[in-house]
Amino acid sequence: MTTTSPDSTKALAPAPRPAARAWRRRLASRRTQKNIAFYLFIAPWLLGLIFLVLIPVLGGVAISFTNYDGLNIGNLKFLGLSNYTRIFSDRDAMWSLQRVFVWTALNVPLWLCISFILAYLLNQGIRARGFFRTMYYLPSVIPLVAVAWIGRLMLHPTLGLVNQTLNLFFHGVQINWLTEYAMISLTTVAVWTGLGAGMVIFLAGLQGIPVALEEAAVIDGANRLQSLRHVTIPLMTPIIFYQLVLSIVAAMQYFALPMLLAPTAGGGGGALGAAPTRAVYLFMVHSFRQAFGFHRYGYATALTWFLVILILLFTAVLFWSAPRWVHSDTET
Amino acid sequence: MRAITHGRGFTHRQMGKIVTYTLLIAVTVVLTIPVVYLISTSLKLESEYIAENLQFFPKKLQWHNYYLALTMIDFGHYALNSVLLATSFATLIVTTSAMAGYGFARIPAVGRSKLFSVVVALILIPASIFIIPQFVLFSNLRVTNSYWPWILWGLSASPFFIFLFRQFFLSFPVELEEAAEVDGARVIRIFLQIVLPNSYPVLATSFILAFLSVWGDWLMPLLYLADRNTTLAVKLITAYVNPQGFPIVTPTLAASVIYILPPVVMFFFVQKYIMQGVVTSGIKG
Repeated sequence: MTTTSPDSTKALAPAPRPAARAWRRRLASRRTQKNIAFYLFIAPWLLGLIFLVLIPVLGGVAISFTNYDGLNIGNLKFLGLSNYTRIFSDRDAMWSLQRVFVWTALNVPLWLCISFILAYLLNQGIRARGFFRTMYYLPSVIPLVAVAWIGRLMLHPTLGLVNQTLNLFFHGVQINWLTEYAMISLTTVAVWTGLGAGMVIFLAGLQGIPVALEEAAVIDGANRLQSLRHVTIPLMTPIIFYQLVLSIVAAMQYFALPMLLAPTAGGGGGALGAAPTRAVYLFMVHSFRQAFGFHRYGYATALTWFLVILILLFTAVLFWSAPRWVHSDTET
Repeated sequence: MRAITHGRGFTHRQMGKIVTYTLLIAVTVVLTIPVVYLISTSLKLESEYIAENLQFFPKKLQWHNYYLALTMIDFGHYALNSVLLATSFATLIVTTSAMAGYGFARIPAVGRSKLFSVVVALILIPASIFIIPQFVLFSNLRVTNSYWPWILWGLSASPFFIFLFRQFFLSFPVELEEAAEVDGARVIRIFLQIVLPNSYPVLATSFILAFLSVWGDWLMPLLYLADRNTTLAVKLITAYVNPQGFPIVTPTLAASVIYILPPVVMFFFVQKYIMQGVVTSGIKG
């Protein structure tokens, strides 16, 4: 920050002498220069925001009131809100909404708990912590397409490693993981590949908690679990809260892995018109199929907006609930 | 409490340690088995893969699968597409985000804090809302089946990276820049000659995250690129088939192993930066 500001020169010199006036002019021009520099520096982002975000999104809102299919720009029909009301009578949409709720309710808590537990264990003055952290993070760097292949390799009904291993103990086991138990399989694969990120974030948070606090609890007679419950977890609630919000937002929009895990995805499927197994027919899968499979851009945009409004509502509820359980401190 | 010993002579604390280590090692094994099995199966005969009995490792390593992976499809072409897209996107987005981040951190101007709250809001808004409208826009501009979408995305910076850079620049010692300013150096020169050369960690973090996001992306190339000009990610799902159109699995898995090598190798060399990025995005978002 500069030490002199135009205001202070004004206070010092009520009747500006020529030198002071020139000084002030220089300051003013320096200010304009800064303004220009700032807007030049953010120009790429600002232009992108206007042309790639604001205009398309507003256009999307407009499209969601029409029957736009990509080609009929000449004879668009204005449908009013009917794309939105249609969602409630669209059985597939309602089914996919229910599926995405089940998926979020399964995936988010499991992912949060397991990655928290791993981070907590790693924070216990473990030797070779770096090694464990690397190994736990490894699945997170594998790109989604390869994750899908690994999932299909593990969970294939007859050729998959999981069933073949189960077969050693229970002869003749042939569980159709990817179809009958698609939701459980999807959750398992997603947690496997997502753990690392969650763990690293929790670990960073745990390392920020002063050891003295936990030790004080132990000296006061608390055992490990009690100190975890009454000291560590309360201090971690800001991070837990943040992870919760972000993971719910992400889970509600989940899309690619169900498509890629579908057993048909390898055999000429995998295109966007193909549907994954019913059990993991999530909401965005439905929306993207409407858009890119059937070119119902108007309806698909309405579906997306519906979901986004729902997500924002959830986020708002979470933020509203935050003061009740999230530990707030002056730090950060 | 802690001094109470168990029958076998372990203290409470030692027992805890043993349990903890056992758990940690068990989790490591469970998490890495799928990756090991991917590599092992990529070296099996197709007939070994199709056999229904459990056989974790191949009898003989079939390096031929890797030859097939590279030759059954025009692997080099698709890999080059992936590399080019990821590199150009990452270079552009790092540049534009660093610029905007510097602006928000260091150049006082009218409307700066309001615009910054827009950046933060954009991080939190669900990204699904952009995909269909952008697709409609790009197809009407007839820039599909080209790299233009990635170039435009790269040019328009990312709110998250802007945030990352701003945080970094705020922690940057301001004295250096002030000294330069007294010398009469212009803002752009300060940025290019003093700030950027000292920002290696955040540049590396964001470049790697941006590169990996494109390298791993499946939906966008599927939407925007024609099949013969697409990336490895798209090809890996459907390309390896026999003349009858049935998937041949072992070469596909070999190709997958090659495909995951760049991210994994990158991760082992620069995991500090990757994790730094993840932590920043998670905690401070």
